[in-house]
Amino acid sequence: MRKDIELEGIIEDYLQGRLGAAEAEAFEKLRTQDPAVDHKVVAHQFFLDSLTQYGANASLKHMMDHAHEQIDVDTLVDELKPHPSYIVNLWRNNKSAVAVAASFILLTMFVVYSHFGKTQDGINDLMLMRREVAIIKNSQNKLVRKFNSTSTLPRGPVIAAKFGGTGFALTSNGYLCTSYHVVKDADSIYVQNTKGEAFKVKVAFSDPQYDIAILKIIDNNFSSLSNIQYTLKKYDTGMGEDVFTIGFPKDDPVFGEGYVSSKSGHDGDTTQYQVSIPINPGNSGGPVLDTHGNLIGVITGKEHQSDGATFAVKAKYIREALNSIPQDSLGKKVVVAKKNILQGLKRTKQINKIQDYVYMIKVYN
Amino acid sequence: MSKKLSNSVPTDREVVLGILNDSEDALNRLYIGHFPMVLQLVLNNNGDEDDAKDVYQEAIIILYNKIKGGDFELSSKLKTYIYSVCRRIWLKKLSQQSKKTNNISDFEDVVAVEVDVEQHEEKELQFEKMGAALLNLGEPCKTIIQDFYINNLSMQDICEKFGYTNTDNVKTQKYKCLQRLKKLFFQL
Repeated sequence: MRKDIELEGIIEDYLQGRLGAAEAEAFEKLRTQDPAVDHKVVAHQFFLDSLTQYGANASLKHMMDHAHEQIDVDTLVDELKPHPSYIVNLWRNNKSAVAVAASFILLTMFVVYSHFGKTQDGINDLMLMRREVAIIKNSQNKLVRKFNSTSTLPRGPVIAAKFGGTGFALTSNGYLCTSYHVVKDADSIYVQNTKGEAFKVKVAFSDPQYDIAILKIIDNNFSSLSNIQYTLKKYDTGMGEDVFTIGFPKDDPVFGEGYVSSKSGHDGDTTQYQVSIPINPGNSGGPVLDTHGNLIGVITGKEHQSDGATFAVKAKYIREALNSIPQDSLGKKVVVAKKNILQGLKRTKQINKIQDYVYMIKVYN
Repeated sequence: MSKKLSNSVPTDREVVLGILNDSEDALNRLYIGHFPMVLQLVLNNNGDEDDAKDVYQEAIIILYNKIKGGDFELSSKLKTYIYSVCRRIWLKKLSQQSKKTNNISDFEDVVAVEVDVEQHEEKELQFEKMGAALLNLGEPCKTIIQDFYINNLSMQDICEKFGYTNTDNVKTQKYKCLQRLKKLFFQL
């Protein structure tokens, strides 16, 4: 026992190089002579190595644990854990691939556009047109003419009117019909006939829904008209019927001719016709007559961007407007001519007879 | 491609020199500097933060011993080396748990580290054996052995610490303890 302890002490000293030169030599001699001692030395060395390595390892682990405590693991976990969303994960893991793909697509698009620019232009035009259709839907051009130059009037106010339109006589005692949007928000309204005489009027009835207004001449200088030459048409007019209008897009009456192109108006509005008469601002409120001298409608507006699409409120609604005027407020009974004297006349003669009943509306506000 | 999370990561040269000089600070900074990278790897591949800690510490031990062993050649960045080791260890653990191991999501480049990891595993086995043997040894033997062989205390210090009357008694005690430890170690 004691010998063993001493031997181990010597072995340890020998392994750690603490033996003197002579002692070490003697011990090595012993090792070579006695295999049992040699085995003990090797085993002990191996074991001590394991032990010290274990110790080093343990202390390293201790240091690392210490370092680990300084890390805010929870925050890092939140930051780095896989995102619940598959997309985000895909993005995190494949950022570079996505970037390359995106650049490639951009480059390709650039090349394609620069190479086939002309073809693309064509397609773009088509798109534009489509988009325009959407705009047209909501943009019915109200054909109220703006007066931008001073016009001298024989009577009535000398200041220039703000807006202008067209109106036409319904009765010989001074009831006129025009579009509601022409006289809307008006402070005062004057009408001027083709001879240049102006009369003050007031709005007797207005119907925003059908865009119709009935005016009454209240000027003392107004003398009754001769009998109205045209009649209100009772029934709807068919497609293809030749029609014409007279309006005041300028200070003199302007004749416009066309045909009924559709029995419904703007956006399928069945209260209107679509007529193909070229009109301009100022034509609003003008009468639409067929070749027999029947009044079939009132010009109300046209579509932006599309040619020949003019809309006219059907005559039926003029009649309704007249009927809805309280009879006692009219004073004189509104009479609509039943007899049509224009039928069979030449166009020029018809116009000659009609133009006296067509008025330029001047609106001040 | 991973997030750059730490700006105090020491340079590779600092780390190697620091470890060779037993600098605890260098180890600290190395440890803190690269942990997020490994955490990201493990979290994104069916692991949690504790797994990450284990894997990372093993990797650091491998690196540490490699540097200490003097046969460390800086053939790649330390970061890449650590990442590769962690990846290797984590893949092994995953396959041991028979979890899904294909399609591991990578965040860094990888270098070949299989040999290092396998060597480490053998050693780790020994360490575990030693740890278990020490645990079974019981007190006061365990402390005496640790103090003498690991903490390099002198016989005199141990004698005073444990209240032995003379160092010969300590020597005898230590001898007995060591014999038992050897027995335990080789039995396991």
